[in-house]
Amino acid sequence: MRKEIVIVGLNHRSAPIEVRESVAFESAYLHDALTRLRNYSSIDEGVILSTCNRVEVVAAASDSTTAYSEIGRFLSEQKAQRHGIALTEHTYQYRGVEAIRHLFRVAASLDSMVVGEPQILGQLKQHYDAAQQAGSVGTILHRLFHRSFSVAKRVRSETGIGSGAVSLSSVAVDLAKRIFDRFDDKTVMLIGAGKMGDLMARHLQSHGVRSLMVTNRTFERAVELAERIHGNPIRFEDFPQYLKMADLVIGCTGAPEVLVNAAQVDRVLRERKHKAMFFIDIGDRRNFDGKINDLDNVYLYNIDDLRNVAEENLQGRSNEAAKAEGIVSEEVQSFVRWIGSLEQVPTITALRQRFDDIRRGEIDKSLGGVLKTLSPEQRAALEDMTTAMINKFLHAPITELKRRGDRDNDDEAALYLAALKKLFDLEGK
Amino acid sequence: MEATFIKLTAAIYLFAAASYFYFVFRKDTVSRLPSFALASGFIFHTAALLVRFVNEGFAAVALIGEALLFKSWLMVGVYLLIQVRYRLTVLGGIVAPLAFLMCLAAMAFGKSGAEIPPGLESFWLPLHVTLAFLGNAVFALAFGVSFIYLLEERHLKHKKMTALLKRFPPLESLDRLNLMLLIWGFPLMTLGIITGSLWAGIHWGDYWSWEPRQIASGIAWLFYGAILHGRITAGLRGKKAALLTMVGFCVVLGYFLWGDTVFPSRHGGRFQ
Repeated sequence: MRKEIVIVGLNHRSAPIEVRESVAFESAYLHDALTRLRNYSSIDEGVILSTCNRVEVVAAASDSTTAYSEIGRFLSEQKAQRHGIALTEHTYQYRGVEAIRHLFRVAASLDSMVVGEPQILGQLKQHYDAAQQAGSVGTILHRLFHRSFSVAKRVRSETGIGSGAVSLSSVAVDLAKRIFDRFDDKTVMLIGAGKMGDLMARHLQSHGVRSLMVTNRTFERAVELAERIHGNPIRFEDFPQYLKMADLVIGCTGAPEVLVNAAQVDRVLRERKHKAMFFIDIGDRRNFDGKINDLDNVYLYNIDDLRNVAEENLQGRSNEAAKAEGIVSEEVQSFVRWIGSLEQVPTITALRQRFDDIRRGEIDKSLGGVLKTLSPEQRAALEDMTTAMINKFLHAPITELKRRGDRDNDDEAALYLAALKKLFDLEGK
Repeated sequence: MEATFIKLTAAIYLFAAASYFYFVFRKDTVSRLPSFALASGFIFHTAALLVRFVNEGFAAVALIGEALLFKSWLMVGVYLLIQVRYRLTVLGGIVAPLAFLMCLAAMAFGKSGAEIPPGLESFWLPLHVTLAFLGNAVFALAFGVSFIYLLEERHLKHKKMTALLKRFPPLESLDRLNLMLLIWGFPLMTLGIITGSLWAGIHWGDYWSWEPRQIASGIAWLFYGAILHGRITAGLRGKKAALLTMVGFCVVLGYFLWGDTVFPSRHGGRFQ
């Protein structure tokens, strides 16, 4: 019996967030869900993938049509049914080659909302492990998932799909890394206690920044934030004095007026012997004078600049994605070949059966005619002799077939199998 | 033997240049391959120079056309030393093709057959030539580093993040390296001038004869001295420092390329 890989699921493109949430699986209940999934008659193996952007059931099934409807039913048993959501219009279904391709693309982060984001691989591994613990993984899914992990790694190392920061704070850190070669001797000044600045400061800290000054119009909020992110609070009216110590200055206030102007920075620069400064303006309005960027050794990026860089990087990723698709196609091909090789066991059995049937038939015919007079011992010897002959006839071809089947990338294995089936008329046996 | 070594060197440098370009422009991964290639080219380069030096003496290594071989050897050597500490694939992308071209030119020019007139041979001459060339090699690298700095600085100022930019070291590293090269290059140049002057004093009779090349080196020396002074005391750094370093090298280079033809002098192998 031939097993087929089937995927039914929904993702950020096919379904809105409410629908995705209505079918999401909490990790605590994953084990139970997998057991329930296995109870469906057509499902032999199953893995459930559930992240905030997608819910998918990957299964090895004996019959794809039944599997589609059974998985559909399984998914709607989640909250969806109670909420009266008809899932069918939000789900996609894949089987065979298309299912393999889909899973490889998911693993390689080609199907992600932010193409190239690295988390998906870890999530995939987690859900695969859960399925393995629940005992719902067999030969096919084991092989399929492990292959998808290596496809993801290959794509990551051979293409630039994960390169280029796409979030604003990682773009800022990337830029800072173009200017400074180390962060542990740098000082960051955070002007304003906004969420965004907080995030950016933490991001810089995780890259080695140790010294951090925080200032805000209401001093209490500066103190509060400084405590949270281990910085030093500074009174708002004092911050210009401290500017000369800052290598990175992040402005994220809602102030309508410019807080730092070019002449000020020019003075500060002379005081700090022209050591480079990086101004990051992420305030609602411009916190820093645009002319600051014209000064030597000073770089000013405002929120739009950061956004542009992020968008360019995203564009770059989609160019790399084309390369990644090529790799995925290659890998799908080789996996399909492996699946094909699974057919060899039934084929070999059928081949033996066919030969044995012929032997049986011919012996019976002879024993009924010319050889009627043989003694029981002679009959047994005839039996042994013919069996041995067949075993010897078949030994070389079967060994060769098995050898080819054991290799992953043998193009000809499927060809041999097909030829054998045709030559000995094994089809439909 | 020696010609074979030079050909091999040139071929390996070409390969190194190609691999530097490949890794700068194409791949996302960092590889040691280009540096290994350059280093193995350097070994053949050393062998070629040694053979020549043993067979024909110092003049065959360091004068006129032959000097190219010696200069490129020094340049590659200094680069290999630097890249042990700094990941500077981009600079390799400048050094390797340059070294290849210099080897090619050395092959094309062949040997000039220049000889040091008897009586002028003394221990000062090789010392002077080696120090002066070494100083030049260091400044050549400083030129390359400054060029990369300015390129990166421009990109950052104009807010153009290209993939190429990511292969560049941070500006801070480049600026520090630039200063380091200046700190090494300037004393070498100073010693080069002093030893040359001593040699001239002994063999020509005057220590300083206002010869075109002497004047050019003098200007370059003052220029580099001023940059070094500015960097150490006045906080000269970054873009201005990089620009000035490039200008300084143009003075040196310009004289070496055209100086001898425009203002023939006793320097550069013509001793009379």
